Amino acid sequence: MTITLNHYLLLGAILFVCGAVCMATKRNAIGVLMGVELVLNAATVNFVAFAHYNPSFEIEGQIFAMFVIVMAAAEAAIALAIVLNFYNNHATVDIDTAEELKG
Amino acid sequence: MILQAVLFYILAILTAVSAVAVVVTQNIVRAATWLLFALAGTAGIFFHLGADFIGATQLLIYVGGTLVLVVFGVMLTAQGPFVNLRISAAEWAISLAVGLLLYGVLAVSLLQVDPPLITTPVEDSRPAPGMPGRSLAGSKHLGAAMLGDRHTTPDATLSAGGVVGDQKRTKMHYLLPFEIVSVHLLVVLIGAAYLARAKRKRGVTP
Amino acid sequence: MPDFFARPGLLFVLATILPLVSFLLILLASGAWCLARKYRETLGEGPYRFFGGDKPGKLPAYVALAAIFLAFVCCATGFVLYYLDHHKYLHDVEHAEHQIEELEHQLHETEDEATKKQLETNLNDYKKGIPSREREWQRLRKEKWQGTLFTLASIRPSALVDKERGTKLEIGYYIDSLATVMFVMVTFIATLIHLFSIGYMSEEEEEIVEDHYVHGEDGGHYKRRGRFGRFFMYLSLFCFSMLNLILADNLFQVFVSWELVGVCSFLLIGFYFERQSASNAANKAFITNRVGDAGFILGLLIVFGYIGTFNFEGIFTQLRAPIRDAHNSVKTSPVAGRIVRGEVLPLPEEEGGGPGFRFDEKGSQVLLFGRRPHVDVEDVLPTEADGSPRFLTDHGEPQTLTNNPGPADKSTMPYWMLVAAGLGIFLGCVGKSAQFPLQVWLPDAMEGPTPVSALIHAATMVAAGVYLVGRCYPMFTPDVLLVIAYTGAITLFVAASIAIVMTDIKKVLAYSTVSQLGYMMLALGVGGWVAGLFHLVTHAFFKALLFLGSGSVIYGCHHEQDMSKMGGLYPKMKITALTMLAGVLAIAGIPLFSGWYSKDSILAHAIGFAYVHPQHILLFLLPLFTAGITTFYMFRMWFLTFTGEPRDEHVYEHAHESPWTMTTPLILLAICSIAIAWGWPVWDAKSSWLEHKLHTAQHHAVKADFGHVASHHETWPAEAAKPLRFNERHWAHELHDHAGFLALFMVAIGIVFAVLTYYSRVLDPAEAKEQFPGVHAFLVNKWYFDHLYSVCLVRPAIIVARAFRSFDLNCIDGLIHAVSRGTVQLARGNGRFDNGFIDWLVNLTANVTYSVGARLRAVQTGFLRSYVLFLVLAAIGCFVVLSYFVAMATAG
Repeated sequence: MTITLNHYLLLGAILFVCGAVCMATKRNAIGVLMGVELVLNAATVNFVAFAHYNPSFEIEGQIFAMFVIVMAAAEAAIALAIVLNFYNNHATVDIDTAEELKG
Repeated sequence: MILQAVLFYILAILTAVSAVAVVVTQNIVRAATWLLFALAGTAGIFFHLGADFIGATQLLIYVGGTLVLVVFGVMLTAQGPFVNLRISAAEWAISLAVGLLLYGVLAVSLLQVDPPLITTPVEDSRPAPGMPGRSLAGSKHLGAAMLGDRHTTPDATLSAGGVVGDQKRTKMHYLLPFEIVSVHLLVVLIGAAYLARAKRKRGVTP
Repeated sequence: MPDFFARPGLLFVLATILPLVSFLLILLASGAWCLARKYRETLGEGPYRFFGGDKPGKLPAYVALAAIFLAFVCCATGFVLYYLDHHKYLHDVEHAEHQIEELEHQLHETEDEATKKQLETNLNDYKKGIPSREREWQRLRKEKWQGTLFTLASIRPSALVDKERGTKLEIGYYIDSLATVMFVMVTFIATLIHLFSIGYMSEEEEEIVEDHYVHGEDGGHYKRRGRFGRFFMYLSLFCFSMLNLILADNLFQVFVSWELVGVCSFLLIGFYFERQSASNAANKAFITNRVGDAGFILGLLIVFGYIGTFNFEGIFTQLRAPIRDAHNSVKTSPVAGRIVRGEVLPLPEEEGGGPGFRFDEKGSQVLLFGRRPHVDVEDVLPTEADGSPRFLTDHGEPQTLTNNPGPADKSTMPYWMLVAAGLGIFLGCVGKSAQFPLQVWLPDAMEGPTPVSALIHAATMVAAGVYLVGRCYPMFTPDVLLVIAYTGAITLFVAASIAIVMTDIKKVLAYSTVSQLGYMMLALGVGGWVAGLFHLVTHAFFKALLFLGSGSVIYGCHHEQDMSKMGGLYPKMKITALTMLAGVLAIAGIPLFSGWYSKDSILAHAIGFAYVHPQHILLFLLPLFTAGITTFYMFRMWFLTFTGEPRDEHVYEHAHESPWTMTTPLILLAICSIAIAWGWPVWDAKSSWLEHKLHTAQHHAVKADFGHVASHHETWPAEAAKPLRFNERHWAHELHDHAGFLALFMVAIGIVFAVLTYYSRVLDPAEAKEQFPGVHAFLVNKWYFDHLYSVCLVRPAIIVARAFRSFDLNCIDGLIHAVSRGTVQLARGNGRFDNGFIDWLVNLTANVTYSVGARLRAVQTGFLRSYVLFLVLAAIGCFVVLSYFVAMATAG
């Protein structure tokens, strides 16, 4: 009943797949953003798990996890700003309407 | 031992279920709530892994900061029609299939690859990784690492000037990246504020 | 301000520059006039009027006259100063030379040993005295009368460390008796010609001049603006060129002036360039001179290549053996002052090896005397019994030839090269001085205004050739001198014979000029250096007089030049007639007139030469016979013009005496023509002061080639000494008298014939014409020289030119056209290739890209969510592929 590294990695994988599917299925822009957050969380979980099970990278794993969190915050801020701008311009948050760059 | 495993499974299930709920729910406000649980569960996982500082950071920044930001975004845009934006069943099916495929690939590759060979330093008296009582370096050691002390031990003491006995202290390791990240964050925040501000139409004088 | 007292030679430089200044002034003023006229609208009438307005003004004439007159004043001053400088030295030296001759004579006569010793001592004293005086004079002359004004270029191979080595192009001045006399003569005559021109060219002052010889398209006379100023501008440039030529101390400067003279003659002969005949004559003069100048420049190149300097003195000291030894006493060497020929042979080892020089009178090499100021007599003595090589030694030291090279780094030059150089330079002189066979241009040059003819024929252009032959005399080898003599002899006879039948008054004079120039060349060729140049000066005066006189006649008869329409003009123009008579008497060689002295001198030299070389007797007979012919045709001209019945009433009615501006020069020139050559006693042909003066300028080379050789040099080949003996005084005197007598006899015959034929009309010239129609036609057609040249040179040249033209048109142009057509075809093909293939390729690329893009654009749905799915699928794909490879790798 020992919890190995693989358990954590599987959890990370679940989070990652959820995030990816969330991005693919949400029409609401903020929903997409949430999916992104989930994906980033999956990465963070992996970093910390590896750090825990590999003393050589104990510090590095945590530090990168921290960077990821900070980056996520920055990303969220920017993404929300973009969403708001989009909303101001299109009066909607449905990303299916943002198809100006369609081929 | 058992407690550790139980705790892990509780936290893992909470997190996974919440994450799946985020995907499944159609209401954006509910999705935000489920996200809160997912993030908090992740923080719990961090604590469980012994990464106290990261877990705290996760709670502070994600749950306390980012999520509030997301909720604000939801509130600002959550007018009637946008709360429940639905997609077709076919899309659902495709997305689900792709997601499951991805998960399969990830899981298979994870399970087929052996866990990394772990060489524990001789002088490390802590329990082996994965054992109970084994905890990652705390916030104090993180700070010391930022100042350049790579091989810190729990016994290392900090004085006003830095790590005592700093023969080991060879170079500044993560302080500069950390500073860059923080400046980056500041720039991003300012940029976000600029982007999101309400635009006045030009040419129209009040 | 240059110091004219310290360097009075600069006076002559000033005299040279003055006409140039005048030329430039007139040129600038006329340039300003042209501009003012062009921009009359904008500038207003003021500037235009200021620079002359519509009517050509007299001012240019006054400027030019003032310039040339000032130049004359400078020259006269310089002449006097030079004379004073030279006189004392000459007096001493002449006295000493006279004494030496006397003593030598006595030494020869006496038998007494004691007297002999005494005489020898005295002789040596005198002999030592002369060199010191001469050295002093040379130093003085170099200081005051010679110098370099500018160095244009200095060419020195970097290998030569010695700064004196290498060659220089310089502008300098070199004044000797010859130059002073020439300067005074040229400026004096030019001044008078300027004055004369003011009267003669007065028609050109009109606003509109009608040229009666040129017809416009409508049949009327051609009208143009008067060219008064232009005429004087050209005259000034002409004077400057001529004076610069006399001034020059090097051949390069001479060549520059030489070409300038040629250009000026071209401009002036073609002054009425609207007339076809005038422009043809100008071209003929210029092109004929080019033939000569080609030779000249070849000669210059040879000189420059072998001797390495253009400086006259430099060339002469290189070519001619010094007449002084290291101790500066007079040399008794037979080669002193001569061109030394021999062979270059290797020295034997005991003498140090290297090249040596063996004297040989027929040797193929000419010794250049290097930069050594003195060469010992022994150096070049041929007196080696066994004929072994002689070595150049200096003060007894053995020395090889290479130790002592000249400026061009050469110790010897081939003899034939020196001959070629001499012939080349002489060819230039032949062209300029209108000698056979290039004499054809001069009679045609009569198309120019008459004062120009006077200037060209008397003072400047034709004189330049004779002057240069005189100047370059030391460069000429005996072979070249013989060529010069024969050229002169042929010329003088041919030209005189043609002059008999000419009816155009100016053409008679033109041929007489050619003939007289032949006399000068002959004299220079037979060693009468002084005689030739003396005749040049006297001839300048009386020929200027004759030309100006003919100008006066032509002017008085309203531009009628044909003598067959004149006659009986004496009462109408007495001054002109009398002054011209003086000129006729002078050119005929009537005793006491200037021509007598110079012609006598020439004939004396000719007879002397013929006496020594009997095979060249023609060189005496031709000039003697021609003296009679000269007299005949000159009197014929005078009689036809001024005596007898008027043959054309119209001309006679309107004939009138010329204004004072024209008669004054005539009178002054008449005086000069009579008296310029006088000396004391006047009746002695050998006592001319002018000749004596010129004698002092004679290069010692002349004396060495033709003068006396000390008779005690028995080792010298007897034939070599022979040509030189006649000039010893008693021989010379006797021959001079013979020549004078014979010449007078011929002159008398000439006068008698002329009087009988054209004055008293005892003989009818028309009868003579009918009796000898062939001879007459032959002479009238100028010995068919023009026809000959036309057939031999001009027509072949035209045929060749046509052939080349057609070759150009057909072959070269055809080739070029073919090439261009080929290029066009190639370009067309290339264009097709470009349009067809390259463009197709480019379009294909673009089309493929476009169609691929068009297909792919369907993938770009624009839906963010589908992109995420693609991303995920791509990641899965990567995974699968990678794992496949990893599996392969681990399995392999």
